[in-house]
Amino acid sequence: MADLTSGKGKPPALSTYSASQIGTNIMSWKRICGSGDIAVNSLEKFNVDGIDIVVANYGDGFRAFPPVCPHMEEPLAETGVLVRCVLTCTKHLWAWDLKTLELRGPAEKPLKTYEMKEEGGDIFAFIDQELVYDFDEEADDPDDDFFSKS
Amino acid sequence: MNGSRYLSSERSSFIPQDTTGDAVTRAIVMQTVAGGQQQEDLVAAKNHAQWVANPPLPPNEWVDSKIYSDEGIFNEELEKIFKKVWIPVCHESELPNAYDFRTTTIAREPIVIVRGADNQIRAFLNVCPHRGMIVERRPAGSFLDGQPSGNPKRMTCMFHGWQYDMKGNCVFISREKEGYQDRLCKDDIGLRRLRCEVKFGGFVWVTLEDNPSVSLEDWAASAFSCLRKTLDAEPLEVFHYHKAIVNTNYKLWHDTNCEFYHDFMHYHNRVTGFNDAYFARKNEAFEHGHIIVGTFEVNYDKYEGFESRAELSFPHLPPNQWYMIDLFPGMNFNLRGSALRCDIVTPLGPNKVMIEFRGLGLKRDTPEERMTRINHHNSIWGPFGRNLHEDLIGVQGQGTTMLPGSEDRHILLGRHENQTIHDENGMRHYYSEWAKWMNRQASDPSKPYERPAAAAAE
Repeated sequence: MADLTSGKGKPPALSTYSASQIGTNIMSWKRICGSGDIAVNSLEKFNVDGIDIVVANYGDGFRAFPPVCPHMEEPLAETGVLVRCVLTCTKHLWAWDLKTLELRGPAEKPLKTYEMKEEGGDIFAFIDQELVYDFDEEADDPDDDFFSKS
Repeated sequence: MNGSRYLSSERSSFIPQDTTGDAVTRAIVMQTVAGGQQQEDLVAAKNHAQWVANPPLPPNEWVDSKIYSDEGIFNEELEKIFKKVWIPVCHESELPNAYDFRTTTIAREPIVIVRGADNQIRAFLNVCPHRGMIVERRPAGSFLDGQPSGNPKRMTCMFHGWQYDMKGNCVFISREKEGYQDRLCKDDIGLRRLRCEVKFGGFVWVTLEDNPSVSLEDWAASAFSCLRKTLDAEPLEVFHYHKAIVNTNYKLWHDTNCEFYHDFMHYHNRVTGFNDAYFARKNEAFEHGHIIVGTFEVNYDKYEGFESRAELSFPHLPPNQWYMIDLFPGMNFNLRGSALRCDIVTPLGPNKVMIEFRGLGLKRDTPEERMTRINHHNSIWGPFGRNLHEDLIGVQGQGTTMLPGSEDRHILLGRHENQTIHDENGMRHYYSEWAKWMNRQASDPSKPYERPAAAAAE
């Protein structure tokens, strides 16, 4: 049996647990780690059945969300800082209140989150499909006469 | 010796030391001269006046070594030539995936070459318009993944976090509204885009000139005509890269690529080549200062340990051919049957040049074919190959005698052999082109360019 208490890195593949062990619907509620494995005001990245997520402990609870900032795909596990319930992506300062999910600072898009619950000292996320953002494609501007513009 | 001023520097090891025998010979000559009893027909060595006198050849058959050693002429070359012409900067196979990049410089200007999400390769000045910081500091890599000071899919200036997409558009200014209010916004900012084309076997060509005097096609198509079908038959791939920073002038390197008379230095080339077909190879000049040396069949099996390269010939070529294309102002494409070599020079100073060497094969090579091709390439042209270091010794030796401040010398390029391989018409053609761009005569750079009289033209 894998060590479930270290709280670091990827948890063991889900197939190593039976449905009765995790006590929930194996198809969508996924055990992420122990409740004490993520320190307050920190972010941890996990891979759950091939889907990358970041889980944040904001003190009053947990949030699970895609691993990239909805602004420009920055890796939130590295760029995000969490202070007084506010997650800020330090690249361009987009921020969200993790308690209310309100937008803060220059953020223009909401943070997409997976539903979470704590049960028996573990935390679970409801992951039935990967949450993704639409990022702006580069404008397809025609190149004719580019070099003669003044 | 005017080289004595360098004796305390690191260059001292390159200053040839007189052997006792040479010193004695020179002393005897000097005595003869001092005594006024010199008989010119009997004394081959020269006194100073004789040494600096013009050779008995027309001025287009020698150049003044000042063009290799003078700092002012060097700076002028960067402005008048390197900032104006088409320069191959890398090969498209070095940017195989979207968001791959390479950085380089042309004439001291830093450049970044990127492959966009739309698969197009574009080039930009690698300079942030904000505070003049270099945007990307790595030699090569990918913008696909984030960096501590970078961003996925963006070029990020790490200094203040300004960001650009793969088309050079500014997509982010840190705390834009707070600092610039409505006075300056992203749309006012962008990287400087450079003309960039992929051509002639998949090489990436860039010019710093927005309105070049000729298109890339017109610049080099005639010189590439002998190999274009071969190079464009199917995708090529770089399998070898190394660079050398050599204490010599970039033109001396190009000269060495343009003249085959120095095959007397290459034992390998003599034993695998010196025959009637070799001496019949044509040395052809093309518009814009380019030249080619035509092909013949190399007898690789005449050199112990080497073997025929016929089985891996590039498309549409008979076995073991050897073509050489030399492009003004200093790029070389050298195809020896199974492997293509490309030299790109970046002049760093009058007496310093960076030469980037690339070896290319066919992209579809099997691993075994690729290993053989690499062996063919490296055994002649690799850093430990049979020929390359000899060429480097040659040009470094020239660089040693033509340090900035050294006395001007006459460098001869006056051989005439019916425009065949040991004719020096290629170099004469090059310096005639150089003179036009510089508006200076190569034999006397203090004089403006003069169009050669029709009778004297090659």
